[in-house]
Amino acid sequence: MKTIIPTLKTGSSHHLRRPSVKRRLHLDLVDGVAVITFDRPDKSVNVIDSEFLEELETALRAIGHYEVRGVLFLSSKPSVFLAGADLEAFGKFGGESLAKLVERGQLLFSRIASLGVPTIAAIHGACLGGGLELALACDRRLASDDPATKLGLPETQLGLLPAWGGSTRLPRLIGLPKALDLILSGRQVASRPAHKIGLVDEVVPKERLRDRALALLGRSMPKRRRFFLTNNPLSAALTRTLTKRRLIKKTRGNYPAPMAALEVAGRGTWNPGSSLEPSFRRERKAFVHLAETAAAKNLLRLFFLQEKAKHGRHDRSIDLGNLLPVKRTAVIGAGVMGAGIAQAFASRGFPVILTDLDPERVAAGVKSAEKLFDEAIKRRIFSAHEAARKLDLIAPTAERVSLRHCDLVIEAAVEDLEVKKRIFADLGSRTSPHTILATNTSALSVSAIAVADGVTHPERVVGLHFFNPVSRMKLVEIVTTDFTSSEVVERALAFVRSLGKTPVVVKDSPGFLVNRVLMPYLIEAGRLAESGLPVTFIDEAMLDFGMPMGPLRLLDEIGLDVAVHVAETMVAAFGERFAPPLLLADLVRAGHLGKKSGRGFYRHEGSRAFPETFATPPRVLPQKAEIADGLDDLMVEESKCCLAEGLVRDADAINLSLILGAGYSPFRGGPLGGETF
Amino acid sequence: MNTTANRDPEKTLVIVDGVRTPFLKMGGDFGTIDATEQGRAVVQTLLLRTGIDPALVDELIFGCVSQPADAANLARVIALRAGLPETVPAMTVHRNCASGLEALTVAADRLTAGRGEIFVVGGTENMSRIPLFFSLVAAAKFAALSRAKSAGGKAAAAFGFRPADFAPIVGLKLGLTDPVSGLNMGATAELLAREFAISREAQDEFALQSHLKAAAAREALAREIVPVYLPGSKAGFVNRDNGIREGQTMEALGRLAPVFERPTGTVTAGNSSQISDGAVALLVMSEKRAGDLGLEPLGRLVDFAWSGCDPKRMGLGPAFAIRDLHKRTGLRPDDADLVEVNEAFAAQVLAVLKILRSPSFDGLAIPEDRLNPQGGAIALGHPVGATGARLVLTALKQLKASGGRRALVSLCIGGGQGGAAWLETH
Repeated sequence: MKTIIPTLKTGSSHHLRRPSVKRRLHLDLVDGVAVITFDRPDKSVNVIDSEFLEELETALRAIGHYEVRGVLFLSSKPSVFLAGADLEAFGKFGGESLAKLVERGQLLFSRIASLGVPTIAAIHGACLGGGLELALACDRRLASDDPATKLGLPETQLGLLPAWGGSTRLPRLIGLPKALDLILSGRQVASRPAHKIGLVDEVVPKERLRDRALALLGRSMPKRRRFFLTNNPLSAALTRTLTKRRLIKKTRGNYPAPMAALEVAGRGTWNPGSSLEPSFRRERKAFVHLAETAAAKNLLRLFFLQEKAKHGRHDRSIDLGNLLPVKRTAVIGAGVMGAGIAQAFASRGFPVILTDLDPERVAAGVKSAEKLFDEAIKRRIFSAHEAARKLDLIAPTAERVSLRHCDLVIEAAVEDLEVKKRIFADLGSRTSPHTILATNTSALSVSAIAVADGVTHPERVVGLHFFNPVSRMKLVEIVTTDFTSSEVVERALAFVRSLGKTPVVVKDSPGFLVNRVLMPYLIEAGRLAESGLPVTFIDEAMLDFGMPMGPLRLLDEIGLDVAVHVAETMVAAFGERFAPPLLLADLVRAGHLGKKSGRGFYRHEGSRAFPETFATPPRVLPQKAEIADGLDDLMVEESKCCLAEGLVRDADAINLSLILGAGYSPFRGGPLGGETF
Repeated sequence: MNTTANRDPEKTLVIVDGVRTPFLKMGGDFGTIDATEQGRAVVQTLLLRTGIDPALVDELIFGCVSQPADAANLARVIALRAGLPETVPAMTVHRNCASGLEALTVAADRLTAGRGEIFVVGGTENMSRIPLFFSLVAAAKFAALSRAKSAGGKAAAAFGFRPADFAPIVGLKLGLTDPVSGLNMGATAELLAREFAISREAQDEFALQSHLKAAAAREALAREIVPVYLPGSKAGFVNRDNGIREGQTMEALGRLAPVFERPTGTVTAGNSSQISDGAVALLVMSEKRAGDLGLEPLGRLVDFAWSGCDPKRMGLGPAFAIRDLHKRTGLRPDDADLVEVNEAFAAQVLAVLKILRSPSFDGLAIPEDRLNPQGGAIALGHPVGATGARLVLTALKQLKASGGRRALVSLCIGGGQGGAAWLETH
């Protein structure tokens, strides 16, 4: 430690450089400890951009001039410690400048690691990507027990890898297997699980974070585990091989980032000298390479689209402050969708009345909601206690109770227009004029429901199309009719967002957006099967393309009768390109409706499925990629039609919807966008 | 107090509506949940059915005798879990077997005192889940074990246990024994049977009638009951009392052995109330607020009385409470269209009927053809904390169905008390 410029008085603040308004952080001396507080004044989050790096460099240099006994990093934001790199700013870097940027961050964090005095990160709020990499460079990490505190390295989800030392330091801190689990999944963990895996040293209430961190700086360093068993070169190599095999199976080679991260993390666990530089070099090289891939560019775009979807407005003339927020809700229909929707509402703290025609149906709905909560417990989304209290929010009843206090009522009854019309006419009298009346129909006309006899105030009728399974599917189509008021759309947007889902506003039209775009593709897949191409060949082609499920398997899941019915509605509206192949009609006539009847394009036995054969396959099979491109073209063409018809605001709305609602290969950026290959 | 003529609508308590769970025999489907969950279910449904804005409720008051160990103030837990706002206070009340009626009378006193206008009241009991206890000796040994620091100390403490230490003390039995007289509730009924010369046959006949009347009233009882959704149960919900024995006969009753006084006793499991799980919730408020909110109440609480008596003869409680209430209101049982006296034991109700016919209770005899028209706790079960509120609910629902005007409800209370209340529809 260098001496000495006269030691600053305790509590005084050392203002860095020009006192500009945009200062990202400030440095104070408290009892001989240098406290670096991240607090970007113009934003609610702290991110790492060039200015941040520069200010941190200056701060570390300044610390070098004083006799300090430790360094403490913290944030003064209510829910963010340091949310990683500023992707918007750094997205413009490339090639040489990117390599420099990566190296600059590595050097800076290494400087933190080698300050020669104890360092500690006191983490409250999101600590992600570069933010966690900074924390990893400290001697200790202390986390608040607040739910806002999340730690993770999401880089691979963006087609990149942690390259500011994270891929190198994390395996050394918590062992290779646990580190890979975090790096390859991009998963974010709360502070208690983070403590359990050794990522943070202690968990304390947020009010005590700073004092505890200061106190810990005076204690001797905890002994770190060495992880010889998992991190020695032999074990690491074995882990690499096994994980690689698993990754290839899962990603079909479409996602280079996890592979690269595995390579770097797996090789960096061990070296006889203590230098981390060889591993850092691999991080840099892999990062610069990945950043140039189309996958990374598309995934980054997708990330921005999702961020944008969190704030987008439908009608800027509406004053959001005057809108009635949705607080109390009701779901009419306790089937699979109704129960799933009720569970989604309750999960986010909304009281929800779940109702159906008789106690038997209501009971079935309660049972499925409880099952969904059990799953959520297993997946560590909720503790058993949290899940029980959320289940309380679901009020089941088979009585025709008043819905006057509900701000939103959503109908999820059978797909029968007459039934829905009756339900909406009845809802008209049971609700207040401000209650949003929503339908979860996936195929019927929302407009026809809105103008049905007895429906009062059609301006509050809107489609809220949740996808199955509701708990997993992030997209909700908000379907508007000519009558739907902007206020109702804005309220629905805010509500869908508060459910943690991504909304897309679509004009009422058969199939709305996602099902409409999928339909010609599914129909063509059926036609290909009819012509004799093997079922698995077609499905495999699309799995290779990056779809989460083959089109024929998907048809079996949807139900062939439902598919034919939807296709026929669309033929009426849009013409022959939606005409289902004869094979589909034949299968339905034979009672082969897909998974629900046990047979369809596959024979279903429990969770296993065996492909059926429909015609003699051609002697020479075409290339899978050729088939996939042909099928993809149909989605692209239909997307263009939807755009031309003005169903949605822009092409990106279609890209985002198809990726989130249909699993359209995210690394391709959507049917109407993205970098081409 | 609030007799018909000079009633103050701001101080008169009306019962807007009420619901109850089915009453299920101990060890039934409610054995998988607890008193809190039962209470939550009825309160949540009551709020839904009445359509009242939960924020308007001034307080939730619930009766429970054996509160679950994990819900010290069970009423508060029920209130929050059923969706009442955090700002609405809640308290649990306990007057033994009359706790469910106590909740109602506390609300009435609150209203009279100007401390609130709208209340959710009721009672809940899960007798299946009343815990087993360790003896004091065993508890001391557990304490020693947890204090022991060294391995040796721990081992020494652990070896101090004897098999007898693990023999549980049944909480239910403790709760049903009066610690002052030392008598079990059944023993107090046997005492009345001896002193009032009530035969085994008379008791069995009374029990039989309870079952027959309840069985005939299934449809009417269904109007009190709301389904409780239990994902763990066979049908996913329960909505039917399961204590009523449709084919009950004197022969079957006659075969049962006396429980509390062997071999000479007369009180059997068949002519005593059943040990059950269940909950009741009532929405009550001032008559004025009900009018303002456009609600049509089931009826109003005219007045009530609580009285004390000999703990050894606690079963006579209703007689004293009815007499004290007569002094306040001038009303006699004969003024009632129906009378609900809780059937803790057949012997005890018969003793009450007998003493009320005696000269010292001049003119207060209960017209027996109007007593418990839909059966009572012998057939339906007696979840102790809930029963008081059930009597109010069933009396009002019966008046509504028959167009009758007045009902008298009364209960005996372990420890030597009685409670009585007059209800009125118009």
